[in-house]
Amino acid sequence: MATRTVRWVLRYRPGQRVVHWLHAGAFFVLLITGLALIWPPLSFLAAGGLSRLLHRVAAVIFLLTPALYALLDFRGLRDLVRDSFTYTREDLEWLKGFPGYFLGRTSHLPPQGRVNAGQKIHHALTIIAYFAISGSGLALWLGKGSLGPTGLLAATLVHDLSMALMAILTVGHIYFTFVYDALPAMTTGYVSEEYARMEHALWLASIPQEPPYVIEVQEEIPEPRRVRGARAEEEAVG
Amino acid sequence: MARLAMLIDLSRCLGCQACVIACKAGRELAPGERWVEIREVVWGRFPELRGAFVPHRCFHCAEAACVQVCPTGALYKRDGFTLVDFDRCSGCGYCVEVCPYKVPRLVDGRVSKCASCLDLVQRGEEPWCVRTCPAGALQCGTREEILAEARARVAALKDRYPEAQIYGETQMGGLGVIMVLPAPPEALGLPAQPQIPPLAIWKDGVQPLSLGALALSVLTSGIAFFIARRRHLEEKRNSQNHGE
Ligand code: SF4
Ligand code: SF4
Repeated sequence: MATRTVRWVLRYRPGQRVVHWLHAGAFFVLLITGLALIWPPLSFLAAGGLSRLLHRVAAVIFLLTPALYALLDFRGLRDLVRDSFTYTREDLEWLKGFPGYFLGRTSHLPPQGRVNAGQKIHHALTIIAYFAISGSGLALWLGKGSLGPTGLLAATLVHDLSMALMAILTVGHIYFTFVYDALPAMTTGYVSEEYARMEHALWLASIPQEPPYVIEVQEEIPEPRRVRGARAEEEAVG
Repeated sequence: MARLAMLIDLSRCLGCQACVIACKAGRELAPGERWVEIREVVWGRFPELRGAFVPHRCFHCAEAACVQVCPTGALYKRDGFTLVDFDRCSGCGYCVEVCPYKVPRLVDGRVSKCASCLDLVQRGEEPWCVRTCPAGALQCGTREEILAEARARVAALKDRYPEAQIYGETQMGGLGVIMVLPAPPEALGLPAQPQIPPLAIWKDGVQPLSLGALALSVLTSGIAFFIARRRHLEEKRNSQNHGE
């Protein structure tokens, strides 16, 4: 079997991946149990109170992820916060090219560092939404009975809007993950060198070109042409 | 059906608790649940003391804050009453928070409040509380009938209670429970002008809007995905060919 050498680049350390998946898991539980609380077609899920309990368990995990991040990988957290709120001229250039990026092209974009402008904005909005969701959620949870009509209105408004924002951000996040094959970054921690070159050329150049930062893996060469040809032949014979 | 209403004549209420028990038994309420409560109110200064029994229960507001805020549609209006679909209640407690009369409570994780005996009324019977009241303080009928009856009773009371008046004609868009009061509402522990909280924009505006925006983003990215994916693979092939 023919093989080739493929280079993979370390993108996320184990701590970062654990925090990411915990946060994502808690978020989806919150989203579904939350929808059950506010959306009539799903309200049958909420009757009985199980969804409310799940919502609160997930809320605690969701609330604690930044603290967990700080504990497991403080450098990661610090970089995340710093990068999310510092923007340069190149970021503006990148944003001008965003429509093309949204539709699958990267070649027209200026070379990017560890995170591109789109990711920065995504992270920044996620951080803001995190605080809005958590603050209003805690108010609804702990303030029950003393919020009054206006307080309840304000808290639910902020809670709903910030959650909608985060859900929409998540849709985009998943979208780009699958358009650009970025899932391995969060499962194995590595991205292909090709991905890194196309999307984060400056970052790729800035890291040491040695394990564990860059590793080489032997991979089978897929042979789609021949297989398809063979099947065509079979069909022709049959 | 026409808009219905109930009449509570405080000048006739004896405070006997018959309606409380009838409601609890007739509606088969769970232990700890109680939809009608009789409060005893005393006003005036000794020796000029006056007293009344004030039944406290859902007032079935036309512009019901609880209905406006209930996210699942468990609370809804029909024929002038505020009904409850208990299976749809998620127990969020928003209704408890906004009711200006502090009526709904949460019992075992779901709302508990007078859901009206509309089923009985539609069969031509009377609500449990009405049919049990030994003093004729309660009545049920169309809202016009009830208002006319209330006016008549107020007129008859004016001699004994010069401050007698109707309560519920205008409050909260008009209540589904019209009360004949022997004294001004404040003296009886009732807000003269309960505030309608500014809530409609949330459930009718923000929630559909956020759900719509979310659906739209799923749709857009779903369609764009096929285009973007093809172009990305194309670009990848090109860059590989260049590299070789
Ligand atoms: S009195 Fe309270 S519970 Fe009853 S309809 Fe009005 S707002 Fe709703
Ligand atoms: S507690 Fe139940 S009835 Fe009250 S607002 Fe929430 S879902 Fe509606």
